[in-house]
Amino acid sequence: MKETIEIEVKNLSFYYNGDIRALKSINLTVYKNLVTALIGPSGCGKTTLLRCFNRMHDLYPKNRYEGEIILNGKNILSQEVDLIELRSKIGMVFQKPTPFPMTIFDNIAYGLRLRGIKNKTELKDRVEQALKSAALFDEVKDKLNVSATELSGGQQQRLVIARALAVEPEILLFDEPTSALDPISTGKIEELLTELKKKVTIIIVTHNMQQAARISDWTGFMMLGELIEYDRTEKIFTAPTKKLTEEYVTGRFG
Amino acid sequence: MKTLEELNKIKNLVLEMAATIEASLNDSMEALLERDNTLAEKVIEKDKVINSFDVLIDEECIKLIALKQPVASELRFIITAMKITSDMERIGDLCVNICERVLELNKEPELKPYIDLPRMADTVKTMLREVINAFFEKNVELACEVIKKDDIVDYYLNKISDELILFMTKDPNTIYRANKISQIIKYLERIADHCVNIAENVIYLVKGKIIRHTEFPKEVC
Repeated sequence: MKETIEIEVKNLSFYYNGDIRALKSINLTVYKNLVTALIGPSGCGKTTLLRCFNRMHDLYPKNRYEGEIILNGKNILSQEVDLIELRSKIGMVFQKPTPFPMTIFDNIAYGLRLRGIKNKTELKDRVEQALKSAALFDEVKDKLNVSATELSGGQQQRLVIARALAVEPEILLFDEPTSALDPISTGKIEELLTELKKKVTIIIVTHNMQQAARISDWTGFMMLGELIEYDRTEKIFTAPTKKLTEEYVTGRFG
Repeated sequence: MKTLEELNKIKNLVLEMAATIEASLNDSMEALLERDNTLAEKVIEKDKVINSFDVLIDEECIKLIALKQPVASELRFIITAMKITSDMERIGDLCVNICERVLELNKEPELKPYIDLPRMADTVKTMLREVINAFFEKNVELACEVIKKDDIVDYYLNKISDELILFMTKDPNTIYRANKISQIIKYLERIADHCVNIAENVIYLVKGKIIRHTEFPKEVC
């Protein structure tokens, strides 16, 4: 299978509050239409790395980046980058579902309206399409005007994914998307991710190593802010090169 | 996954099975060379024990896969254990086959004193002992030595076969016995092949690289 490069991370270091170095010279290539998983013990920097991809850290002014993250030939860490546009290209789904306190329909239409889509038919079509892509449409098609908070946790998480998909991102970032869900809902989200990668590139942070093994194509193992090993998932889980990776995936530490 | 205890249990079972197989091979050869029917019958009887090891080890491995989802070197160890126990079980069957031929041969007068056959058997016995050590020591070098020794076994197979053909063509009365011996050397050659399989699995266990059905693994050995 030929792999196309989607994102190239070059010598990326990240400092919280100006001087706390949370990422140390990360080099990593994310491939298009594949799932890349980041694993590692708590505090290893995997979520910090994930949040660099859509510049979430910019919410706190003293945080700073070094190095480059190249997407479509441009460094997205550059000051000239329009963050609103960047975040519509690179969507994010969090650990706990974050539906807006509004109807199912409006949750998804929200981002579309922000992007200037006013035509009712187009809005309806795109909401429906997004719900179908998130494998939620059949469950909610008769209650689109019901408050999103009435959905179950698993449905809320898929709604959030639908909301992210509605603005047609290139990349979706997932930060432990199933850690608050039961095994059935987890299974549905995992199935969905495998389906979604046909349309978008996925980067997922997970504490569940079996989940990383099940759904990802590439896996990066991180520790103390460093990317210890990055390889095809099958290699990481059958014959990792580094001793630290071996010890972590076999549960000897962490 | 905290599987060390379970892995050690499997390792000990493989060790016990390997010791039983080694004893079976040694006894089979002694039964042949010493024309010892009692020993041959003992080997045939002991095959049940070997078969039960095969089943038990598979069950333990399956349980560990299902309950602990092992990965990396632990996964490779379990896969290797399952594969090599299949090979060891087949070696056990071949020892039974040797002893069945011994019982048939012992009803007849001796064809000739064995010269090359004990040498061939010694090579096979060494291969088995070394490959078992290679597995427990995770020793790739030793596994490679075992693979190389297979050529020696093939050499003896051809040499003894030629000699047996000569006997049969000279005197048709030797055909029955020569044919039995011919089968025995073929069994020995197959045991050597199983040792090679085990050696290849040891290389997989250590290096994570499957070298079966490839040219002689120069980059590994």
